[in-house]
Amino acid sequence: MTIAVIIAFLALALIGMPLAFALGLASLIGLLAGGIDLSVMPQRMLHAVDSFPLMAIPLFMLAGELMVRSGIMRLLIEFADALVGRLHGGLAHVAIVAGMILAAVTGAAVASASALGSTLVPSMRKSYDDGYSSAVIASAANLGAIIPPSNAMIVYALMAGSSVSVGGLFMSGIVPGIILTLGFMALASFISWRRGFKLTGNRLNARDLALRTWKALPVLLMPVVVVGGIIGGVFTATEGAGISVFYAFVIGMFVTRELKLSDLPDALFRAAVSAAMVGALIAFAAAVTFIFTIDMVPARIAGLLQSVTSSPEMFLILVMLILVTVGMFIESNAAYIMLVPLFAPVAISFHIDPLLFGFLFVFNLVIGMVTPPVGIVLFVMSGITKLPMARLIRNIWPYVLLQYGVLVLCMLFPDIVTALPRAMGY
Amino acid sequence: MMPAPGRHEPAKAGSLFSSCQKALIRLDSVSKGVVILAIGVMTCLVIVQVFCRYALSYSIDWADEMSRLAFVWTIFLALPHGVRFGIHVGIDVVVNKFSARLQDLMFRLSALLGAVLMIVVFHFGLQVTQDGWTELMPTINVTSAVYYIAVLVAAGHSLLHLLLLAWGGAKTWASIDGQNEVSA
Repeated sequence: MTIAVIIAFLALALIGMPLAFALGLASLIGLLAGGIDLSVMPQRMLHAVDSFPLMAIPLFMLAGELMVRSGIMRLLIEFADALVGRLHGGLAHVAIVAGMILAAVTGAAVASASALGSTLVPSMRKSYDDGYSSAVIASAANLGAIIPPSNAMIVYALMAGSSVSVGGLFMSGIVPGIILTLGFMALASFISWRRGFKLTGNRLNARDLALRTWKALPVLLMPVVVVGGIIGGVFTATEGAGISVFYAFVIGMFVTRELKLSDLPDALFRAAVSAAMVGALIAFAAAVTFIFTIDMVPARIAGLLQSVTSSPEMFLILVMLILVTVGMFIESNAAYIMLVPLFAPVAISFHIDPLLFGFLFVFNLVIGMVTPPVGIVLFVMSGITKLPMARLIRNIWPYVLLQYGVLVLCMLFPDIVTALPRAMGY
Repeated sequence: MMPAPGRHEPAKAGSLFSSCQKALIRLDSVSKGVVILAIGVMTCLVIVQVFCRYALSYSIDWADEMSRLAFVWTIFLALPHGVRFGIHVGIDVVVNKFSARLQDLMFRLSALLGAVLMIVVFHFGLQVTQDGWTELMPTINVTSAVYYIAVLVAAGHSLLHLLLLAWGGAKTWASIDGQNEVSA
């Protein structure tokens, strides 16, 4: 059954069929090959989606939609500009710092790229070329899936079962997220200095910074309340997502007063359709996972890998290399859904810390979102700036290398990832 | 039979294709209303439940189950809209190397195969719905088959969209929606 599923999936995916439907048809072929009753399919589809933790995804997306409509991006950008705008590549730093704060609210790289790109590209165009701006924004957007909350981590935790908690995974992303932010800023400064870009922002002014911080305070407190509540165990990720929607709504209606009630239906619909993309993948992949379980594929992969190596480090390197390749060609949500049930149990059999493995898995596929040829964040940026992909790729590679560098650093020094969640009791 | 509009050829007003498109637009707007209602109910229930639990030390028994039901309806009913807006991601690296004609053929074939999948999901979904009709949800006196009805509606609605895409090709909605308006 498994062979039939894999061949069918590859053939269908290569003719350009949406991956969710390719998974559905491949599982259909697998079920027919195994003589299994096809009523399993709708049952598995429903049970996969009928999940309380998964509800956090549309809620975080909705919070992001409301924030964009509330003029919160402007407050964030003004705050970041007052803080880091005068550095070399000032607007690039503004994008990175705003991306970091936005990451702590939306939890999605694509949503962040769309929000940052549409807001910052017009001003960045005046001082920098589009290639530089797009590469910086795409990299800053990637922080969305690393810094908590993270929809990618929610999907990972769901697919990995009870071996890892959402809160623990969220915590694991904080230190690497800060390292990445600082790394992006250093790289943006260096490239800006090499290319001789002019300084843009005003000199650091304590009074102006205090004023901007005060204005942006409700937004800056949002991650503290939501993420702090989730990782502190006060509420679940889904409840935290609900609170972030309420928070964004209150700020938009009563603080910035830019959100209108007439904005709500469109925001709700967009969040629903965006979440349906992830939901469709999860639903249609459920029958594939069922077939893999019947065929004991995880146990077979574990046996195969254990016959190749008994070293956990070598296993981790092998998985990371597979994910680098997969991340280049397959959309990250599809990759979590297909590969986490296969590799997460094997990692446990190799005695690898589930939190470390989960974070590295997510981080690797998040980098895949800015690597060609299938880098969905690159597509978003190319769409906003109308920049040809080839030019965008020429500009993004230093940032991609930096991210892979941080990934290797996390593999060499796992405490970067695990120390904080372990200290918090995860 | 009326020739299907080609890849770069918008549907002619008054044609059978255009009538089907209009009918689907009406269906989409009804479904859009239900999606907005479902995600709205889900959001409100989660927020109210958190408020009740932490501010009033009280929990609404049925809130978790109802919010999950609303979530299931949100995801499944929004799925066909994703087909229309083209947000369900695929791999186009190989297909992009083909000629425009072959690309169009692949697109229509992919939509047709997707339609076959939806027929199977609908058929067996209906069977499961009928089998589970007598089972009740744990906290509400309503049949648990309401969950499966969302799957049925999604399969039926997606089937119509996929058949229209197989007929009209990749530019089916281009003149109406422009570029994809909904991003993931």
